Amino acid sequence: MQERDLPSLLVFIITAGLPATLLLSVVGLGMGFLIGVALALIRVYAEEDISLLAQAYENLFRGVPVLVLMLLFLVSTGWPAFFSAGLALGLRSGAYQSQIVRGAILSVSESQMIAAYSIGMNRMQTARHIVLPQAFRLALPGWSNEYAVVTKDTAWAGAIGVLDMVKASDYLVFEDPVLFLPAILAITLIYFVLTYPITRYAGEVMSKRLRSLGLGGDY
Amino acid sequence: MSSSRQTVLVYLVIGLIIGFGIGFFTPGLIQPGEVNLVPSIQARGTLIVGTEAGYPPFEMYNTTTAEYYGFDIDIAQLIADELGVDLVIQDMPFDSLIAACKAGNVDMLAAAMDLSAERARELAFSDPYLQTNQVMVVNGSSTLEIDELADLAGYEVGAQTGTVQAADIQAAIDAGAAIVLSTYASVAQMFIDLDSGGLDAVFVDEPVYEVYAELYTLRTIYTVRAAPMVLYCRYENPDLLAVINDVLGDAFADGTMANLVDTWFGG
Repeated sequence: MQERDLPSLLVFIITAGLPATLLLSVVGLGMGFLIGVALALIRVYAEEDISLLAQAYENLFRGVPVLVLMLLFLVSTGWPAFFSAGLALGLRSGAYQSQIVRGAILSVSESQMIAAYSIGMNRMQTARHIVLPQAFRLALPGWSNEYAVVTKDTAWAGAIGVLDMVKASDYLVFEDPVLFLPAILAITLIYFVLTYPITRYAGEVMSKRLRSLGLGGDY
Repeated sequence: MSSSRQTVLVYLVIGLIIGFGIGFFTPGLIQPGEVNLVPSIQARGTLIVGTEAGYPPFEMYNTTTAEYYGFDIDIAQLIADELGVDLVIQDMPFDSLIAACKAGNVDMLAAAMDLSAERARELAFSDPYLQTNQVMVVNGSSTLEIDELADLAGYEVGAQTGTVQAADIQAAIDAGAAIVLSTYASVAQMFIDLDSGGLDAVFVDEPVYEVYAELYTLRTIYTVRAAPMVLYCRYENPDLLAVINDVLGDAFADGTMANLVDTWFGG
């Protein structure tokens, strides 16, 4: 067992664990975004039967803890831990991002659609050129919250064996139990640095900007 | 939209998923025959070994070199060398190792696992390569003394999740002893809690105790011989099991095993 000072502890957590944490966030959010947008479009625009399937998907994945999903994929499929973790995060995030995008689409005012129809646009064109460009901007504050949730939930991946920041800090503690508190504080700090600037910018600054543009209602 | 149709659809989807799940986990429905795994291991060039790397001196992770090391890792390396492939360690929670190996996540397990009937039902086991003692460990200042596990009634005892130690304590509880069993994913956390007074005793393999006895003031109050330690792989891959047993046999014959035991457990 060797001595470790704080800088070298931080360096180890960042070099060994941060890449997996960031990659899982990106995979989870990216996959969740694709699924979420698809589900939201289905729920707003598609036939009732298909819309119900999308709703069933949302209910299912919002109702299962992400760690349970990860373990399910890991032990029942034989997929690698990283893949299982990314898939679980993405599928679950898709269910939540669908809600965010759907809410944003519905909050674009009805009169804009009537105006679009009146100049001869059809449903598809209205959705593509009028509704969605506004909806994505409106979704940003809510989406920034989902970003923070997914980033923090990547911590569960450590529990199924992915070498993320939590697992990296575990390894430090295995080597020297004295490092328990410093390691936990270090990852606390890193998670905060990862999430706070984004939630602050997208959540507060973007909300103000949207309001100044006359978007997003009175929140 | 009509809510009864919606409910029917939701239940349909949930039923479908549960059905697939039951089908997947029901043994007998899927019966893969014997598959030669060695050629595919050699084709991919890596032997993937499952372990839980928080169990000194059997399996550990060096944060300076970013490498796994330990007694079991060295033995897994011998097998990888015999196969002429690189060793890849897959670190995961101890209690998910068996399921991961059955599912094909890893080729074999080297995780200081004792032989037990429950495990042998799930996976094929190698020839024994080590036998250790299990010890009940208390804080150096504790006055607790026991003759058998049942004497721990009323005390809080820690064991790692999924280990035979946890199973032994659970068996004592089932037999009527009012022991409070706390299971831990990592032994490091368990010894932190023992040291801080959160636990009255912990039940571990003796070599693990010896590592932590250098960090904390500890003593043992109960020693019992453990079942032999074995490596596990799938029953469907007898060719890999044959290689594993050959390597273990050779290691015992040519003194490699004695050297490893001396390296990792010699005082």
